[in-house]
Amino acid sequence: MLWTIDAGSDEPLYAQLVAQAHLAVARGDLSPGDRLPAARELATSLDLNVHTVLRAYQQLRDEGLVDLRRSRGAVITGAAATDLTAVEEALRTFVAAAREARLSPEATTTLLQEELKR
Amino acid sequence: MTTHPDPTPAWRRRARRSTLWSSLAGLALTLGAAATVWGWRGDLPDEVATHWGPGGTPDASMTVTGLVATAVATTVGLLALFAVVGLAWGSSASTRRTAAGAAVWSGGLGAALLLVTAGLQRGLDTPQAAELPGWALAVVLLAPLLPAVGAAALVPGDPALPAERPVAADAPRTTLTDSERAVWMGTARGGAALVLGIGAVVATTLLAVVAQLWATLLVPALLAVLFAAMFAFRVRVDATGFTVRSVLGWPGTHVPADEVVEASVTRVSPLGDFGGWGWRVGFDKGRVGVVLRSGEAVLVERTGGRGLVVTVDDAASAAALLNTMADRARADRTPG
Repeated sequence: MLWTIDAGSDEPLYAQLVAQAHLAVARGDLSPGDRLPAARELATSLDLNVHTVLRAYQQLRDEGLVDLRRSRGAVITGAAATDLTAVEEALRTFVAAAREARLSPEATTTLLQEELKR
Repeated sequence: MTTHPDPTPAWRRRARRSTLWSSLAGLALTLGAAATVWGWRGDLPDEVATHWGPGGTPDASMTVTGLVATAVATTVGLLALFAVVGLAWGSSASTRRTAAGAAVWSGGLGAALLLVTAGLQRGLDTPQAAELPGWALAVVLLAPLLPAVGAAALVPGDPALPAERPVAADAPRTTLTDSERAVWMGTARGGAALVLGIGAVVATTLLAVVAQLWATLLVPALLAVLFAAMFAFRVRVDATGFTVRSVLGWPGTHVPADEVVEASVTRVSPLGDFGGWGWRVGFDKGRVGVVLRSGEAVLVERTGGRGLVVTVDDAASAAALLNTMADRARADRTPG
């Protein structure tokens, strides 16, 4: 699968990795039992500190998306397969409404972030 | 003024060189052994045993002249085969290396067959008295591997050959901003290849057990190592280029991003395009294939007329990212 990070983004690098793992599971690119890349390999390829990747994997473990095992690395758990259809539908409605109101993408994102903080 | 395109790509010269010396080395091994056996004629029975049935009793024999002629002819036949592979398809260093190693192995096999077969029968009066110890097969199969590995190591790798043209404008790309970094990772693993591999190991093991030829268990053991190395490959596309490597760590290869001419998606048939599964050389321009199943694959066209085909799912993402990384590598080389 494709992993991207944006060094110019305000979002912390480890959080970008966490978000991509969640998205990949939601889209079915990652299924229970699949293994995430070795932290060192992912870090080298993306020119990251290995601790950044490990921090992302630890957060994914805390969120229940992966099991971390010394021998097998980070494995997607059976509980990871959450159905995101409702969220995606609501998002489409939200984006359509924002466009209707002629909100800029930045303003739309800010609204979403404000809502998330409640 | 007209410019003539180079009629012979540089790899052809390298292929001729490695084929020539490896064939000569292989021939020298067998001829040296043949001369030695010829010198033993006085100590050997008129007919020497050449084949042993189950239980280790000889069931076929031929004259010393016949034995020497057969071994030399077999070696020459194998050398011709590997020379064709090296000369026709040796565009990648890995193929030239394998062909050179196989040529020297063939010569070593002929030499080992001669020396072990005749050596066991020195001082005997009849071929019926010849006994085949269990280690004989192991020596004949394993000893030639040593000079073969040495020969393969002597073949030089491909020199760096950065592309001179940009990647075709209509080739697929991954949209990345300047501050974005990306990596694509996938795995090539087999369907039919895996079944065939396990089948071959089980069949040769059963054969050895049923015939009670314990030394021939070496064959399934060697096959098992080979199939383990070929069973799954990790594939990675990042800023450095394209990497494919067996999960065991060997074999593997890396195509630097600045040597990528273009990456695309293709469909392969392992048997039809490559004559089998695993790490192969293809019939088409000597492309190297890591082909573990039929269907979707990523094709990496590399400078110097080289090519690499790897069967992975989602090959489109891999190809698009590699083209983007190839663009970046060219941009890094010529700033501004």
